[in-house]
Amino acid sequence: MSINNFVKKICKSLGENNKPTYVVMAIATVKGICRPMFTMMDKTENPETKKYTALREGLTEVIAIPAYWACGELAGGLAKKAFKDKALASRAEKNLMFMGVCAAALFVIPGLCSVAIKPIMDKMGLKAPDKKEPKKVMETEQPPVYTPANLNSIANMNKYPKLSTFTAKPQVGLRVGGL
Amino acid sequence: MIEPIKSFITSSQLATIAQNTTQSVAIETTLKSIGRPGFILVDKDIDSDTKQYAAAKEFLYQATCLAVYMALIVPVFKKGGFKLAKEKLFKNTQGFEHFKDVKEYLHYRKLADNPSIDNRLATLNKNLPGSNSKVKDLYDATLIEELKKKNPEKFAYVKGAVELSNIIGSVLGLAILAPQVSHAFIHPALRFLGLEDKNKKANNQAQKIDTKA
Repeated sequence: MSINNFVKKICKSLGENNKPTYVVMAIATVKGICRPMFTMMDKTENPETKKYTALREGLTEVIAIPAYWACGELAGGLAKKAFKDKALASRAEKNLMFMGVCAAALFVIPGLCSVAIKPIMDKMGLKAPDKKEPKKVMETEQPPVYTPANLNSIANMNKYPKLSTFTAKPQVGLRVGGL
Repeated sequence: MIEPIKSFITSSQLATIAQNTTQSVAIETTLKSIGRPGFILVDKDIDSDTKQYAAAKEFLYQATCLAVYMALIVPVFKKGGFKLAKEKLFKNTQGFEHFKDVKEYLHYRKLADNPSIDNRLATLNKNLPGSNSKVKDLYDATLIEELKKKNPEKFAYVKGAVELSNIIGSVLGLAILAPQVSHAFIHPALRFLGLEDKNKKANNQAQKIDTKA
């Protein structure tokens, strides 16, 4: 079959029934290939971030393709059960399929992504670059360093008074009569 | 309660939108621009500054996609696809010979989709807006005869060619062109909204704390 005949056949099929799922699935497929590719080609970003972002973008589209298909087909399938009249059922099928695709775009795909992507990324050992655990600093007990500057403060922190200046009078509070 | 839902589900206008690639993609992109930022904003694992930044970025990305799609892809591919199919692929056969351009076909298709013959004929006798000629002057004798039938010919090849070129345009526009355009547009827009500097500041502060630790 020549390319011309193939394209004509597609045209006829699309002209008779252009399902709303076709275009969204085609967009998701190309996005799933191109977006990670563009991300990996970005020279300004560091490799770890690129890898993480590209995989996340790819996974989003991998989830989106079956979600669009399933939502569209499930919603469209309801029409056949709900309407007995053929003409009405056919129109309702198209409309419900479109509504299914809209529902997928509005909350099914974002919901699935927010539930599924993080565990998948964790299983793959990839974490968000800014959420990575900071490297543990070796906690060693170092001896305190005494310098002339801090010796004075250490001396001030000594709460015990010297014997030569010791008085039994209270050192705090209001002193009356110059005592 | 059930009747309005039933009539909405079986609405011919909704069916026309559902069968039209450009309209359905535009609606779907609009919904994405609401749904995705919404889900980011309700995520409890992210701090509020990052949430605001990520949601604004996602919204701007989808809005740019929609703008690029409506401004460039729809007119170019709709008209170009029809012309290419009419002149090269089908060589003025399979119904293409009856229509000058895509606008004319879409007008005919809308009339043909109307189940009432009386309504169709009434539309044919109406004046075209801003001129003395009538709607029926746009169509040749074959098309007018078809519109008088109960089930007029809808020229599936013409419709298919238009939809195929729309699908190709949508894929190229939304998966390849729009991300490039949005990449150039999003960062200045976020800076204008005061979200990018805020985020950078937060990052810088975090880095400062890290280095001291």
